[in-house]
This record gives sequence, C-alpha cells and structure tokens, in this order.
Amino acid sequence: MTADRYARQVLHWGKENQQKIADAVVMIAGLGGLGATVSQLLVRAGAGKLYLVDDGIVDWPDLNRQLLYGEGDIGREKLPLAKERLSAINSTTEISLIEGRIDKNFFMPNDLHAVADCLDNYSSRFLLDELTPEGVFLVHGGLEGDHGQVLTLQSGQSQPMSEIFAGACQPEGSIPVTPDNVVVVAGLMVNELFAILFGQPKLLNRCLVVSLADFHMAFLDV
Amino acid sequence: MIQIQFYSLLRMLLKQERIELPAIEGETVAQLLARLQKQLSTPFLHKLLDDDGSMHAGTIILVNRHNIHHLEGLQTHLNDNDVVAMFPPGAGG
Repeated sequence: MTADRYARQVLHWGKENQQKIADAVVMIAGLGGLGATVSQLLVRAGAGKLYLVDDGIVDWPDLNRQLLYGEGDIGREKLPLAKERLSAINSTTEISLIEGRIDKNFFMPNDLHAVADCLDNYSSRFLLDELTPEGVFLVHGGLEGDHGQVLTLQSGQSQPMSEIFAGACQPEGSIPVTPDNVVVVAGLMVNELFAILFGQPKLLNRCLVVSLADFHMAFLDV
Repeated sequence: MIQIQFYSLLRMLLKQERIELPAIEGETVAQLLARLQKQLSTPFLHKLLDDDGSMHAGTIILVNRHNIHHLEGLQTHLNDNDVVAMFPPGAGG
C-alpha cells in the first residue's frame, strides 16, 4: 500500500524525479500561512527531510489560513504541532525542528538543497537570504491582500534580496491575508521547489507577480 | 525608447502592463514619472511619492533590474532602451 502513496504524481513526473524529492533536504523558514501549506505539500510529495523554523504559538487570527492548526491548538507551540501533523501525513519524511527566529546568531544547517522563505517580514527575509549557504536556492514567497509574488534566488549568484526589495514596505500592524491567496502563493512556491529539485528552476532571478483580483500573472526580472 | 512596466496594484490602477516613452537625454526617474503622469489619464504619483517628492516606502522601482535605492534614487539618470519597473511587493506570509 505505501508503495502506492506516490503513484499518481509519479505518473506525471516519473520515478527519477520522485527519487530526487525523496533525497531532498529543504528548510521551511516560518510556519504561518505559507509555511504550513508549503511544508504539508512537500511532506505529501515525499520530501526526504525538512527543517522547520518558527517560534510562534497558535492564535485565533492564524486559523483562517494556517492549514496545519485548528481550534484545539490555540495557545500551543506551532513547531511540535507541525511535526505531529506532518508526521501523521507521511511518517517517512524526517523532520528536524529549529526553535527560534532568523537572526544574526541563527545557525543554518549545512545539508540543504533549498530554503523556503515563508516569513512575514522583510528584515528577517533579508537575514535569511544573507545566511543561506552559497549555491543553495532560496524560494521567496510574499503576499498581501489579493496579490503576491514568488522569486528564486541562488546565494552567491543572485542579487541579495535586501538590494532587490530595498524600500519594500513592512506595514504597521496586521497585514491583510486571505486563505485563498496563501494557498495559491504556497502552491506556486512548492511548484518552484520541485522544479529546483528536478534541476530546472523556473523563477531564478525572475519574480512571478500574481494578482487574484483579475487572475493575472506577470514576470519581473531582477 | 524607455519601457515602463507596472505590476500588481499599479497595473490595475493604470489598466495597463507597460508603456513606452521616447527617451530624453539626461532625464531622471523623477522626471520620467512626472512626464508619465501627464501622459496618462489616471493620476498615480500619489501612490509612489510623498508631498515633498520623496518615495513612499512600499513600492520598489527597478531600472534594468536594479533597485534605484542602490543607484541614485529618483535622481537616477535614464538612457535609451532602459526598462523601468514599478512593483509593490506583498510583505505577508
């Protein structure tokens, strides 16, 4: 039965690519809206190992879009909860927890193939990009209201994220985020992560800008 | 010609993805934006600039893929065939 777990996706991308996913090590920075879905999709697809980074607890405003958590989880730490839920979905994925924030003292694992930027503020994103080991791909996702963006950078090859997004606004207070937009942007991030693992990134130095208001997508080269 | 690309909320406000304007020797980004506003029927500079003419936080402006914050800001000079892109990235996750 377990051999059938990936049967439907292997029909699409083949056994060789499935093995690449099984060998993959990906770090998910942030387990909010984007991170909860990105991690779940990677686990469902059979990712070999995930590092999860967060230091938050589940609160009511999280429940509209953070698909790993429910009402009974209010007040609980996201990190162990996420591991519990993800392991229940696929026990073959190794999950390693890193409790804390992305700051200057953050210790990056040295076995990464890719990093998923699922954070919610630009100062942490800039640090994450700075700390990403040379050659490793970072897939950035961000959203607000009914628009969002996905971008892949390769440390040492791409412009630093802090240069590309210099002047980007971190709004005061809560950022408007809806469940549909989170899932769309997270799905695009995972599609790009698969493309990276398969050796053919589609968004390297190319930002995909998405608007749900009129179902529009456009590329912005950076 | 200079190609100006609009993304996200600016694209929706202006109802177009890009526009081309003839290059003017020595023109800066600030001057290009003022020329653009005159040409377009929809005011948009209030989305980009404060009353004193400085940039709002929020929208990034790239000239040939480089953020003008790391060039000469709104005083960055433009040349024929430059591509100017304006984009307000989403911050949430």
